[in-house]
This record gives sequence, C-alpha cells and structure tokens, in this order.
Amino acid sequence: MNEARLGVDVGGTFTDLVALGGGGLITAKVPSTPRDQSEGVMNAVEASEVEASSLLALAHGMTVATNALLERRGARTALVTTQGFRDVLEIARQNRPSLYDLAMDRPPPLVPRDLRFTVEERSGPDGEIEPLDEASLEEVVSAVREAGVDAVAVCLLFAFAHPEHERRVGEALREALPEVHVSLSSEVLPEFREYERFSTTVADAYLAPKLAAYLENLAGKAEEAGLPSPLIMQSSGGVTGIDDAIADAAGCVLSGPAGGVVGAAYVGSLGGYKDLLTFDMGGTSTDVAPIISGEAQTTTETVIAGVPIKLPMVDVHTVSAGGGSIAWADAGGALRVGPHSAGADPGPAAYGAGGEEPTVTDANLFLGYLADGTELGGQVVLRRELSEKALTALGEKLGLEAEDVALGVVRVANAEMTRALRIISVERGLDPRDFALLAFGGAGGMHACALAEELGMRTVLVPRAGGVLSALGLAISDIRRDYVSPYLSPMDGVDAEEFEKRFAEMESTAAQDLTDPEHTRRADLRYRGQSFELTVDADTPGKLEDRFHAAHEQRYGYSMEDEAVELVNLRLISTVPVEKPDLEEPEASGGAESGRREANFDGEWIEVPVLDREKTGQGSEVAGPAIVEFRESTCVVRPGWSGKVDAVGTLVLEKGDE
Amino acid sequence: MSRLDPVTLSVLASALAGVAEEMGAVLIRGSYSSNIKERRDCSTALFDAKGRMVAQAEHIPVHLGAMPEAVAAIMDRDAAPGDVFAINDPYSGGTHLPDITLVSPVAYGGEVIGYAVTRAHHSDVGGMRPGSMPSDSREIYQEGIIIPPVRLVRDGEYVADVMDLLLANVRTPDLRRGDLRAQIAANNIAEERVGELIERRGRETVLAAFDEVISYAEKRTREAIRDLPDGEHSAEDCMEGDGTTDEDIPIKVTVTVDGDSMRIDFTGTAEQVRGNINCPLPVTRSASYFALRVLLPKDILANAGTYAPLTIEAPAGTLVNATYPSAVVAGNVETSNRIADTVLAALASFAPESVPAQGQGTMNNTVIGSRGWTYYETIGGGQGASYSGPGPSGVHVGMSNTLNTPTEAFEMEYPMRVERYELIYGSGGEGAQRGGDGIVRSVKVLEGASLSLLTDRRRHGPRGAEGGEPGRVGRNLLNGEELPPKVSRDLDEGDVVTVETPGGGGYGESAHDQSS
Repeated sequence: MNEARLGVDVGGTFTDLVALGGGGLITAKVPSTPRDQSEGVMNAVEASEVEASSLLALAHGMTVATNALLERRGARTALVTTQGFRDVLEIARQNRPSLYDLAMDRPPPLVPRDLRFTVEERSGPDGEIEPLDEASLEEVVSAVREAGVDAVAVCLLFAFAHPEHERRVGEALREALPEVHVSLSSEVLPEFREYERFSTTVADAYLAPKLAAYLENLAGKAEEAGLPSPLIMQSSGGVTGIDDAIADAAGCVLSGPAGGVVGAAYVGSLGGYKDLLTFDMGGTSTDVAPIISGEAQTTTETVIAGVPIKLPMVDVHTVSAGGGSIAWADAGGALRVGPHSAGADPGPAAYGAGGEEPTVTDANLFLGYLADGTELGGQVVLRRELSEKALTALGEKLGLEAEDVALGVVRVANAEMTRALRIISVERGLDPRDFALLAFGGAGGMHACALAEELGMRTVLVPRAGGVLSALGLAISDIRRDYVSPYLSPMDGVDAEEFEKRFAEMESTAAQDLTDPEHTRRADLRYRGQSFELTVDADTPGKLEDRFHAAHEQRYGYSMEDEAVELVNLRLISTVPVEKPDLEEPEASGGAESGRREANFDGEWIEVPVLDREKTGQGSEVAGPAIVEFRESTCVVRPGWSGKVDAVGTLVLEKGDE
Repeated sequence: MSRLDPVTLSVLASALAGVAEEMGAVLIRGSYSSNIKERRDCSTALFDAKGRMVAQAEHIPVHLGAMPEAVAAIMDRDAAPGDVFAINDPYSGGTHLPDITLVSPVAYGGEVIGYAVTRAHHSDVGGMRPGSMPSDSREIYQEGIIIPPVRLVRDGEYVADVMDLLLANVRTPDLRRGDLRAQIAANNIAEERVGELIERRGRETVLAAFDEVISYAEKRTREAIRDLPDGEHSAEDCMEGDGTTDEDIPIKVTVTVDGDSMRIDFTGTAEQVRGNINCPLPVTRSASYFALRVLLPKDILANAGTYAPLTIEAPAGTLVNATYPSAVVAGNVETSNRIADTVLAALASFAPESVPAQGQGTMNNTVIGSRGWTYYETIGGGQGASYSGPGPSGVHVGMSNTLNTPTEAFEMEYPMRVERYELIYGSGGEGAQRGGDGIVRSVKVLEGASLSLLTDRRRHGPRGAEGGEPGRVGRNLLNGEELPPKVSRDLDEGDVVTVETPGGGGYGESAHDQSS
C-alpha cells in the first residue's frame, strides 16, 4: 500500500492499527504494552507489514495522560497563586461528591497544601490593583527551588484578562529553574472562573513532564524505523505534532476516546448517516457520544478523575458497564448488574479463569448470541457450561431458572445503557428518534437493536471496521489547534474593529503554528447574568445574537429575544484537513451463512442463521432473527430487523413496521 | 396485586428513576435563573395515585421529606388531568416560601395514575427584602407571597388570573415566569414517559412496579434498621439565638429502635421562637430522613418505602413543628442542619462507626445588597472526621450542597472585592482522624450596602466523636470586630466583612492523647 496514512490506537488490552490508502484498508492488532505504550505502537507497525518509507502520516492515540491522572502518577507539581487564595484548588466549588456518604471526599488536589505558594499581587476586572511584590516573588522562587518539584503552575486571579503578573512570575521561575516545567493559566486557558482555570493549568503542569518523556521516546523510535514524525490525537478530535502536544499536555487526556468518535463520524458520513449516537461497548466500560451533521461534538465541561479540564474535548459520556459487568442479587431481592466488573482477569465465568460470578458476556453466551467455544484473541475459549453454572447459582438466590437470569441480565444491562444514551441526547435537547445508532466495540453490536427499540430509534449501523474504529479515526483526523481570546462585553458594546483584530491575531499565530490552515471562527455567548455560555459560529459580529438565540432554543428549549446578550470568548479552530479516502466494500463472495444455532429472543429459542461478515459483502442481505459474526465482534439482529451491507462496508439495519 | 419478578423489578426501578432524572434534566435545562440552572437548588419526583413517592431525583437533601405533604394537599382538591397546582405555603405542604412546588396529576387513558412533582428554590418571591431570605422577619407575611395549593394550569391552559397575581408580588417576574414554565415542562415529561412505559410494558405491570419499588425500598431500610441494636438513645443540641435573642435554644431528640422500625421523638425541644429559625414539620421530616439516609446503604432508592419504617413525633408549637404564622425562612437553611446533627448524634449511639463526627452544622448564609443588587451566598466549612478517614475541608456538610460563586465572576458582577478565600488550617478537631478545616472569606464593599448574616456554631464547636476533639467555632467580623451569629448591619464604603466557618469534629482519640 503506497501513500497510506497510519492510525495507531493504544487501548487497555490491545493496540490497534489501521492503514488507509488507495481505497484499501489494512488492520493489525497486537497486545498493548502498558509499561511503555510506544513498544506496542512499534509492534503494531511491524505486524501490519506496511512500508515505512511510503507512509504519509502516522497518527497516534494513547492513554498516557489519562492514566497519569487516574493513578495520580504525574509530576511533583507546585502552584504559585495570589495571596489570600492559596486553597482555590482544594475548596473547588465547595460541594461534596455524595449527598449522604459524609465520609466521602473529593479526589485529592494534584498539588498538596505544602506545595502551594502565594505572591503579593492583585489584579481585578479593570487591571492591576496591587503591584507584584518582587521580594515576595524572590521568596517564592527559592521556596519552589527547595521543594524540588518537576513542574510549576502559575495561577493568578484575573490573569485571563491581565496576564502581566503571571508572565513576570513565569519569567522569574524559568530563569531560576530552567529544568522545571512552567505552565501559566493565562496561556493554558485564558478564560474567567478561577477554579476551573487553575485546575486545568495545574493538570497541564502535572502531565507535561511525563507526556514529554513518552512522546520524545516514541518520536525517537519512529525516526529510527524511518517512519514519519508521529501526530498525536488531542481531546478535541484533531491531531497535532509532538512539540505542540507536549506544550498542550492537558489537551491530551481524551486522546483515546476521541479517535473512536471521529472514526464513527467518518464511517457514518460515508454511508450518508450524519446524525448519530455512537455506542462503544467494551469489557469494563461503555462510551456514548452524539454526532451532529457529521461532526463530533465538543464540550468544555469535562471532568476526569475529579479534575475539571475546561479545554474543548469530544463530548463522550462514559458509564462503567460493559461485557464484564457482574450480575448479582441485592439484599432486597432484585437482580443487579455492575458496577463491579470481572475485567479481563479473571474475566467472565465462561473464561474458566477463576471468575465464578456471571457477567453480561456469560448471559450473551448462554442465550446463543455468542458461540460456545469462541476463541478470543487466540488465548481464551468461551465455555457455555461455565456460564450456565454461574447463572444457575445466581438464579437459586433469585428463585429463577438460568435462562430467565440470562435474559434478565441483558435487560438490566440494557436499561443502564438506555439511560446513558438518553443523557447524551435528551439532556442536550436532541430527540434520539432523529438519530441512527452506530454500534462498535466488542459488545456494541450484540445490544444495539434492543437499545434502539427502547429509544424508538429505527436505524442501527454496524461498521466493518468496528473493532478498530479508533485507529481508523486517527488515520483520517485533521490537524487541529484551538485558540481562545477572552472578550467580555455586552454585544451592543462589541467593537467590530476590535473583534476583527483579535481574530486576525489568532489567525496569524495559527499561520505560524500550522501550514496553510483553514480557520473556523466561533464565539462563546450568554444572556447577561447567566453563568454558562453557548458557542456559536462567529464569522461576523452581526449574526452572533441571532445564532445565540437559536442555539439556546435548541439546547434549552427557549430563547429570550429581549434579554441582553454578552460576549465572553472568541475562539478560533484552525485545521489542516487531510484527504479522507472512501472505503470500498467488495461484492459478497457467496455462501455467507456459516451455520445455524439456537438463540433466545424474549424467552423463545429459535434456530437462526449465523452469517460470517468476512464472507458477506456489498449488497449482502440479512433478516432477523439472525446473528452476524464480525472479525472482532458479534451483531445480534433481533426479530423485526433487517438490512444489508452498504457500499462502504457498514451493515445497515432497519426496524420494520410492526 | 401481581408480584414482579426480580428482573422486571430491576428494569422498572431503573426506568422510573430515569423518569425522575429526566424531569430534573428538563427542569435544569429549561430554567431561567442561575439558582436552579447552576446551583441546582431543585428536586423532582414521581408519586403514585395514593400519594406515595415512587422515585426521586434529588439535588438538595432539604427537599427530601417535604414533597408528600404537597401532594397530599392537592389530592384534597379534585386534581384532574391537565391541571398543574402550585404551592409554597409552609403550613400546607411547603418548606419556606422561596421553594415553590408544582404538582400535576399523571393520567393514562383519562385516569389519574400518579403525580409529577417539581420543587425549585426561586430567587425572589417578594416580601420585605430582595432575595426573600430576610434575617429579621418575625412573621411569615414578611417573607414573601404565600401560595396555598392553587391551580396554575387548568385543563392544559394557564390560569392567567393566578399567574398575574403571583407575578405582581415578586421582584423579578420574567425570571419567575420562565422558571415556572420549566417546572411545568418537567412535570409534563413525566406523563409522557410514564405513558410510553405503559405502552411498552403494560398498565398492570407499571402500576405493580410502583408498589414493588416502594416495598423493595422499605424491605431494604427495614433490614438496615434491624442490624442496629434495639434500644433508646437521646441527644441534645441547640441553636445559638434566633436573631431576636442570643440565648441558646435547645433541640432534644430521642431515637428508639425496635426490631425493624425506628421512632424519632423531639419532645423536650424548645417552644417556637419570635425570630425566623422555626421549622414547619416538613423541614423536620427532611432533616430526620437525611440522618437516616446517612446510615443506609448508598444504593437504596429514595421513595416512600425508604421512610415507611420511620415515625416522627414533633409536638406542635415547638421549634421543630412551628404553627402559623411563625416566621420560618431560616428554619429551612439553618435549624434543619442542627436537627440533622442532633438525630445523627442519637443514631451514633446505635452505630458509632457509621456516623461521622459533627460537621460545621451551618450554611453561613450571607446576604449583602443595596439598591439594584443583591448577593446571596452560603459558605462551606469542615466536615466531621469518620471511622474511615479525615473530614473533608471547605465543603457543604448537611442539608445543602450548592456551588460557590467564583471570585472572578463575583467581582465582575458586584461592587465588592474578595480579600481572602482560604482554608483555616488546623481548624478541624484533633483526633485519630482529624476533622475537616473551615473557610475564611473576607469581602470588602466598594459602596454603602446592607448586610444580613444567618449563621450558627459561633459559640459551640461541632462535636468530636469517640474521643475526638470538637472543631473550631466560626466567627463573623466587621472590620475585625466580632458580630453575633445572626445579625443585620449597614455597611460603609471600604468596610470588610469576614466570615470564618467552623471546622469539623475529630474522630477517635489522637495518638498523643492515648499515650499520655
């Protein structure tokens, strides 16, 4: 394959690769290497047998930053802040995480009390109130030196509008401690509301040293192998170069899930489906996300491991339920599923690796959705008799037969998934019935038709590349950088020249950062007095208000045409688009039915055809009840559903009229 | 009554909780005011046709116990499909006037099968001071417009006369209209979703599920109570004055556990007072429910069954069951915390390892305003330490859980400046586990204004547990001079108001004490 683009995605268990070029698609899957994720990346490249010198690009999604946050294994980090405000990071928004569990605290702040230092200075809404005291700055610099930290976050009040003091503090720290990483809040996130800005900046400082070490190591290996310099997936759904990724460490925490959403948007659009809810069900967790008009949506409301990071990130909602979720009987005699998971070790009872409690996977196996004896990753073999044993044991506690337990586990798990899908649709003002459900991940296709029925959705899409959709998303991601300029003003006081000047400044910065970028201008607005903003397109200031009213109507169900509207931020998204090849699905090779087996639908055992997705092709038809086995996953086509494989290889299922 | 299998029970419990959650999402999404949208000072619930709560999405514990009274109040009034009732009267189903509750019958096929309920804290309902949270009210008429159960919507149409009367009595009628509209939309979604559930699962099954989720929750609560030893334990605590006097006002409680049921008796508590810290009975219920919930496993659903094993005795005419027309606005925000503290103290004798030491026990209500602007904030403090760990610092600990106002938003909005907003290190009580630290917040006013403080725990620090030391008391200061716990003052340009919030109590004897 010549002139191919590579996408390599590191997941918890496997590292996936997709090579895309000339209408063709090559995939590879190798075990992940958690200690140094870059080893798995190089193994995947080797396994794919692509010619290194012929590659156009190597895009990479990883979980290094996410894991460092989750496990609190980032750099030893200090905070320098305004006198009188030492504890903003710890007080947070002063709400407790659980209403009734009074012992539960928020996750500890990334910077402990003894590493939080204050300088004498103060700015307010109109600029400097108290000058920066050089003597107190000197004291802080030596205190930071003595603390022996690897990174420092400088977060001063009102620095989003008046960054002069922060810059001076940053300069002094960089001069005195050249080996220490320094992040300034006015650079990382020049937006008002101090807690969220401080939190984002501290995360940036906390992650930067680790991320730098990892990415520089990866870059070295890539160069050695003659590969292009890697592009790194950011949380926003666009890729960027190594240096920029390091400079924007906090923007990499959703590097992993972003690829999946971008891949889903791409595959959906190719088949003509632009409004989607994505449903990525894996072993321990499930990600759902809305895609509107072919575009992954972004939000700045993301909180990861208790740390708000207010940078644009793909809008993904994660629930901790998946194939490995354990079913149990609670003290009130109800059947419950999760939140505990059997994970990969010991795994579901069917693995025979010590797991004795039934999981969602065990229920799917018992019901015939998965085949008895299926091999997973060439290592584990699923054994139905073990699932049955575990389901029977649970059934004794509930007074139910194994079959009813299995059906119940699937129904209870589906009820949880339905709630997750409602959250990302209904709560955002979207009606799920206007969307198609795009299912991927190991277990997505098994539950999709049932979920669609619950939500009144009539179309389910199961892409051929469902097992490697994240890697596919990486391969076709545009290069992207985000810029923001705070501009707090009532709309009727916005100066058109100033408006233009600020965008022009950002665009000229972007032109230095990127080669021939395309720009999208956007703006955050709110009704006066509101404490949240909505982002709308902002090519000219003239149309902003109308767009804002319309966006408010869409999102919140009403608008207030008489209320004063305020401008809060100007945003620039600069992209260098990459060419997105079409996928081509070959014609069916004939004889797709690989066998028949008994499967249970709503309590009835039916002998259904089992189709091998590798032997079906463009135009192949399927009518439920049936099972379609993909290379890495299984799709259950419920009674009443039918469809066919489209020109890009997506199995499109439609619900018939009842 | 058909009994549901464990699977259908679980699926429908999830679906019904989903209905309440979606009501909450619609309300928060559609509301106009930041108090509901951002601070989430609202709750939603679904009730059955007998007026029993089936599912609730709660954001604020103080809303817990008060909804059933509101539903009972409208069931007496021939509620018909298409009606929406409004109510805020603390003496017929409300808590305090700013909390307006809307109740709609949920109908299927023309028959009322349940009720949808939303409760939201409206940022102004009229009365003697902007924000309707006066520190110096002496009777309820001063606290705002009183809404007995009245139809706001009849047969799907707004009752314009009622709406006009209501809006004529509040300072921000456009916001109120918007927030009420959001509450109505939330009530409507409940009828739609329950209808869909019935279409899919059948009427009998869904109605059976109402019964089953209630008896399921009751069963689990009874099991948790049965795990406690039988017996009777009392506890006493107090409020530090009511705004007209600085005398301590005692609250007394006796908790009796008998098998799988529990009785909470407030006999011995002080008479109702002249100030506004009185509690109507629903507030006392909410605080008692809160204390019980702290003991229960965290995955128990909240519905009528959860509280069925509990009986509450609160003599009429006392601080915890005030009679008309006592002023009550601060009962909801201050006394409720002390009731919860006192009940928890009695419960600790049954299960010392399950109850943490006392938290700050006050919301530190701060109101500063002048012509054209009003600022209202509650300030977090120290949580008590527990058997399992130290107390969290700088959080809301009891009946509230609202967010703070960011300093940068505050200074752009008001003619004031925050001089200090930090934790008071070491203010949590010593112990094997330390109590959480309180907060110090200093605000300088840049023009003349008036100040109201409704605070407590300024003389008696939050108690430690199992030998732990008490948390440090809070303090209110004006230019460095100490103010009483409940006070109103005029401020001059340049005055600095400082509120220091209490630390939480420690848990267990500290190693130092044990060795000596």
